Amino acid sequence: MQIVDYILNVLHGNLGLDPFYKVPVTTLIGKYLPRTLELVIPATILSVVIGLVTGAIAASNRNKPTDYFIRGVYLVTWASPPFFVATVLQLVVAYYLGLLPPTGTVNPLLPAPKDITPFPILNAMLTGDWSYFWSLVHHMVLPTISIALVSFGIVTRIARASMLDYMESDFARLSLMKGLSRRKVVYGVVLRNASIPIVTLVALLFGYSVAGAVVIEDVYDYHGMGYFITQAIENLDYTSVLGTTIVVGISIIIANLVADILYGILDPRVRVVE
Amino acid sequence: MLKAIRRDKGGLVGLVIVVAFLLWSLIQGTLEVLAGYLKKPSLGYTLLPHNPFALNFQYSLLPPSSRFPFGTNANGEDILSRILYAMPRDAFVAIVVVLSAIAIGAVLGIISGYFGGIVDEAIMRITDAFLSLPALILVIAITLPLKATYLGTILGLMVVWWPTYARFFRAQTLKVKNMDFISAAKLGNVSPVKLFYSYIFLNSIDPIIAYATLDFGNVILTYSTLAFLGIGISPPIPELGEMAADGLSGLPQAWWWSVFPGMTILIIVVGFVLLGDRLQDIVAGRIAY
Repeated sequence: MQIVDYILNVLHGNLGLDPFYKVPVTTLIGKYLPRTLELVIPATILSVVIGLVTGAIAASNRNKPTDYFIRGVYLVTWASPPFFVATVLQLVVAYYLGLLPPTGTVNPLLPAPKDITPFPILNAMLTGDWSYFWSLVHHMVLPTISIALVSFGIVTRIARASMLDYMESDFARLSLMKGLSRRKVVYGVVLRNASIPIVTLVALLFGYSVAGAVVIEDVYDYHGMGYFITQAIENLDYTSVLGTTIVVGISIIIANLVADILYGILDPRVRVVE
Repeated sequence: MLKAIRRDKGGLVGLVIVVAFLLWSLIQGTLEVLAGYLKKPSLGYTLLPHNPFALNFQYSLLPPSSRFPFGTNANGEDILSRILYAMPRDAFVAIVVVLSAIAIGAVLGIISGYFGGIVDEAIMRITDAFLSLPALILVIAITLPLKATYLGTILGLMVVWWPTYARFFRAQTLKVKNMDFISAAKLGNVSPVKLFYSYIFLNSIDPIIAYATLDFGNVILTYSTLAFLGIGISPPIPELGEMAADGLSGLPQAWWWSVFPGMTILIIVVGFVLLGDRLQDIVAGRIAY
């Protein structure tokens, strides 16, 4: 009966009370999820871009040193535990080179702008608080790059394979015969067509990125969903973790929907004919 | 088969890493189990350079040296010994989870593909539901009520790991089910169990073995990530992901504390991926053997 009650509550948007903070889980997720989305959405876009570019370079230099190098890089980043990539980046970029802050979400000395939206970065923009905005951006760069690094490999792999397929196609040969340079054919014609299947990957990539973010936020002490889940694990707080799972599930379904719509826009062949 | 792997540098490197890892895990794992059974803990680290549990605060946070190749942690414990001590647990998780995933996936996938209709629909929708969520988050949700123990984590991984295999076996079953040798077997009154096992399962297993090799790496990656978050560990027994998490407190000075356990996981997973890729090429007939 408990599960029936729980499901009914979930359907009414009630994920229960957090046993430690005595606040509804939805409130806590509402606070932490936007911060994670601020990392995950740019990271997903970044990994698609890195993946497409490296995939295209690898495919056009097939079986040459560049190709092997790119394959080596994505193999290593793909096989890396997310926390390892994050730790190494943090050590090198933040601690040794001192280019970016190693930990935290924002400079704690700055006063937070008014909550207009749940997204801190939008709040800073809307209130015109640019020093807060830049502090947020500085703290976001390393986690975002780390998330993108652990997930771009799959894009490279699929982009490379589908580019190799398309290079043999009639339209690629036709464009070459029309007198377009090889570079234009590879990066213009072939890459455009090969990027369509990547769109279906976006939702999957988004899921990877969320899972990666949970761990990577922990390394950077960034207070988003990762922080929330780690706290919940330490407290064996089941309500919060279950609520998180449901919310992550919903956001992945939304990502799938977005991917389907994008696919329809990019490829007229899959549009529903009325 | 071995010859075909050896001919490719990547495959060879993968094979060496995987064999070394599994062999070490077997030997060290046996010693650890015996040590627990005979209540003689020293047996568990006879092969290690140092006692992984020796608290020696005079050796606290020493950088890598010839005496401590990977340095020491805040308690003065040798990091190399702790890594070597932790490996069998990762190997055990990977083997149990992948084998159970193949078993569950084979049963559900073959049933789904063979009978079709509403059974197929039902099984495939469950599979979709599992595959749509990141495994990491699902395992956390399943493991937490089990108090996040080592065995609970293995169970959680087993629950979420089979759907990919179910899809594989379903696709393979659909491919072979209308072939003549299946019809012949049906006419010959072969029992359904034999039909499913000898005729369908054994005929679908080749590509799945290649994928499973790669998947060992995925399981180790997920398990160490869970351990990093504090799930599936049983202190004081060391775990690679847990060591990496502890090591964060030593950054930036004591970088070796977190970096070496992470790097060990990376090398093991690269080994499985290289070998798995190579096997996939061989199975797909891209390379003759």
